[in-house]
Amino acid sequence: MAANLQQQRIINEQLRREANVPRIQVSQACQLMMKYMLEHESEDCLLNGFSSQKVNPFREKNSCSIL
Amino acid sequence: MADCAPTPNASDKMASLLKEAENLKIKLEEERAKLNDINLWTVAERLEPIAFVNIKPRKVLKGHQAKVLCTDWSPDKRHIISSSQDGRLIIWDAFTTNKEHFITMPTTWIMACAYSPSGNFVACGGLDNKVTVYPITSDDEMAAKKRTVGTHTSYMSCCIYPNSDQQILTGSGDSTCALWDVESGQLLQSFHGHSGDVMAIDLAPNETGNTFVSGSCDRMAFIWDMRSGHVVQSFEGHQSDVNTVKFHPSGDAIATGSDDSSCRLFDMRADREVAVFAKESIIFGINSVDFSVSGRLLFAGYNDYTVNLWDTLKSERICLLYGHENKVSCVQVSPDGTALSTGSWDYTIRVWA
Repeated sequence: MAANLQQQRIINEQLRREANVPRIQVSQACQLMMKYMLEHESEDCLLNGFSSQKVNPFREKNSCSIL
Repeated sequence: MADCAPTPNASDKMASLLKEAENLKIKLEEERAKLNDINLWTVAERLEPIAFVNIKPRKVLKGHQAKVLCTDWSPDKRHIISSSQDGRLIIWDAFTTNKEHFITMPTTWIMACAYSPSGNFVACGGLDNKVTVYPITSDDEMAAKKRTVGTHTSYMSCCIYPNSDQQILTGSGDSTCALWDVESGQLLQSFHGHSGDVMAIDLAPNETGNTFVSGSCDRMAFIWDMRSGHVVQSFEGHQSDVNTVKFHPSGDAIATGSDDSSCRLFDMRADREVAVFAKESIIFGINSVDFSVSGRLLFAGYNDYTVNLWDTLKSERICLLYGHENKVSCVQVSPDGTALSTGSWDYTIRVWA
């Protein structure tokens, strides 16, 4: 019982802390998130692809060569 | 009768604590609901959809003799370490697919592996309940110079280096996370709160690196303060085990993946779920998620052998990556965001770019 009590005290402390977390409107949070993603879009190779496949370090090397 | 005031007994105390907890939960839900004016895909509605993503399979890394359980990109953006059910770690050159190092551990099911920030060490562990550090040098020296840093009372499911080569953060089947000092093996902080196995952890990308997130079989994701050891925020919504958690590159949101066959996005500033990534046709669980560098793409590895690409803003699936012949256990975008690695129970690792 004492152990349960101690555990419940910890849970309540956590809930009190969480209840006091500052929050903003979801619409505002989403706007900020969208802004971040659009601002960083140009750095995103997986999203945009490489400017040229030659700069892709993982591309297959041409296995044929003209002798 | 000197003392006639009845001292409240333990069960009364318990009852009042439970009542308080109940009220706090209701208050929390009310506060969160108050600010829930719109969802993410409505905000992003006018945005152009992502029409086409040119991501192709580039490399197949073959060498493990059993399920690949975890992979990690080196800070050099070129090497990958992988750990497997076969009890081995392999360090790969992802450009050439060459195997540069083998480490054989005295255990099977190495469920986690991680490069140190300098790229000179790897931490790993699994069913042995331990986190072990190897220096990356010659093969003989690696085995000789290994160091056991910490021990849990159940399997170690995940590990990361939070700030430097000097500390390791681990998550375990014993439902705790722990921060260890590498040099002394001392337990610096333990993190109690989950009521189920901890499956995944991730470090906040911004600020001083004192915040991390954990996902657990108790269906919850917790945000922790590493210094105090306290839970700062908790997120629920999943109907089953949370297998994977990842910070959005902005540091203001986390993505989760679950056995309930959905991924979710929780915004920390709004303190709630803002998007769900699911379809009726998707009935398999997710083992691993990661974001592209802008955070616009969310990659998720599924039990149906596929990797799904989601548009984070519109909650729409863009495409599927086919190739693996068994469950996809791990997905990770390379540090510079040029490539995606995926590991699978089909014994292989694939690199997409």
